[in-house]
Amino acid sequence: MRILLGKELGQLGRSRAALVSATLIPLLLLVIVPIPQLIAFSKVPINIPELPGGGPAGLQSLRGADFFVQLLYPLLVTICGLIVPSLAASYTIVSERERRTLELLIALPVRLTDILLAKLLSILILGVLVTVPLFAITATLVVILDVAPAGTVMLLLIPLVAAVICSTCLSLLLTLLARDFRTANNVNGILFFPVLIATVGVLGGIGGSARFFVLGVTLLTLGAIALVIGARWITFERYLD
Amino acid sequence: MPTALAFESVTKRYRNGVVALNGASWSIPVGARTCLLGPNGAGKSTAIRLLEGALRPTSGSVTLLETTPDAPEYADARRRTGIVPQSPGMYTDLSTSDYLDLVRRLYGRGDVGRVIDAFGLGPYQRTMLAELSGGFRRRLLLAAALLPEPEVLLLDEPTVGLDPVAAHDVHEFLAAAMRGRTTLLCTHNLAEAEALCDDVVILRSGRVLLHEPLAELRQRVAPRLRLRARQPVESLAAALARRGLAAEIDGDAAVVSVDARRAAPELLRDLLGEGIDVFESVPLEASLEQVFLDVVRA
Repeated sequence: MRILLGKELGQLGRSRAALVSATLIPLLLLVIVPIPQLIAFSKVPINIPELPGGGPAGLQSLRGADFFVQLLYPLLVTICGLIVPSLAASYTIVSERERRTLELLIALPVRLTDILLAKLLSILILGVLVTVPLFAITATLVVILDVAPAGTVMLLLIPLVAAVICSTCLSLLLTLLARDFRTANNVNGILFFPVLIATVGVLGGIGGSARFFVLGVTLLTLGAIALVIGARWITFERYLD
Repeated sequence: MPTALAFESVTKRYRNGVVALNGASWSIPVGARTCLLGPNGAGKSTAIRLLEGALRPTSGSVTLLETTPDAPEYADARRRTGIVPQSPGMYTDLSTSDYLDLVRRLYGRGDVGRVIDAFGLGPYQRTMLAELSGGFRRRLLLAAALLPEPEVLLLDEPTVGLDPVAAHDVHEFLAAAMRGRTTLLCTHNLAEAEALCDDVVILRSGRVLLHEPLAELRQRVAPRLRLRARQPVESLAAALARRGLAAEIDGDAAVVSVDARRAAPELLRDLLGEGIDVFESVPLEASLEQVFLDVVRA
């Protein structure tokens, strides 16, 4: 499996299109979009209108910079954590199928489990390597601007890593359902919809730092479900089909 | 003699309902060079994929080097088997030497430099697989299959789609590679099968129609004689018909089922005596093509 993992990481590293798209979108979501908002929230007191009856627990008492740290940035972090692995999956999993290079691979002494595990691990590694450093830039700025304590900012790593893991597991369903890039994009949209609904529900519905833990558990549960379904149904025959 | 690979009552039904193999049983002893012949859709590639372990039979069992794909020893059997797949996709981001190095590490043995030299891949070491020409792709696939010095070689249409020059090159490599090695060659190129194999398995619609040594198979086919005369071929055919011989017209020649050694001299004397100026008489050796057509059409 280690040999195949090396192959996958090497190919991802050589794929300019995969690297550019897997870096640009997180750069946008984790740095370019949030930093101006962070600066604005930290400098100017923004008056957020009170919702009737106080609103859901997650939206109560969110004022100014809190709105950014507790709601806006976690949402961007989660979306980013979901997108990066799905882009990598299109290159490693779907392209292997679309270009029929899988037939080259199965002529060698490898098992399907090893092939898929190597692909999922490479997606996970790329996801973490791309998102965590970019997250660190904005997180450092949050602490420097004294918008939130370092401990709270560190908690945001929970939904980020959980989203990367969840999206990596969803890639297994992509293996079953998508035969080409276009289908992969459509399938990703369908798979992410319930995950995003759950994310918004948790962030808006649960107050305080508990929301990050609950969101992390929710994402990992959804990922585990995808993993079980994928592992149950994937065979060489289905992947080659 | 120990069995290198075996199919026992193997049926493979795909999810779309297509039955690729239908109760097929055949086996190949260690050291045999066998060709698997059959028209398109006969189940040849399915047989290779079952041996690869990429497909599971719907019923029956497939054995490679005396282990089944479910057995823990199967991984070892696969490491003793080199496979040339039929026209696979080629990586755009993996070079020839990267791919051969991957093969070496997966098999845990092999000398990349040796196969690069043997297959003339030296100038293409840094070329991406997708940029190789058809002939060099096949050379690369053969080089990869032979890199670990396998005991068994499975070849799925190794020359399909190649121009005659490239196919000739691949045949030369194959002849050397197959010497002393158990080989299953899947093909519908009958000349290729005839040149490279000793035994034949003929499949049609997923069933084994025949499994015999090529030499025995040739003996089963009636000997034939090809005759040409100065007169129009129709006159020659009519003269043959008067002697109870049904002639098959092949251009300006008539082909009849006659044992050249025993019956040709008398037949020629008769024809010349009747005024048919036969100027050519060639005994035809039974070709695999003829055998194949006879078996498949039967």
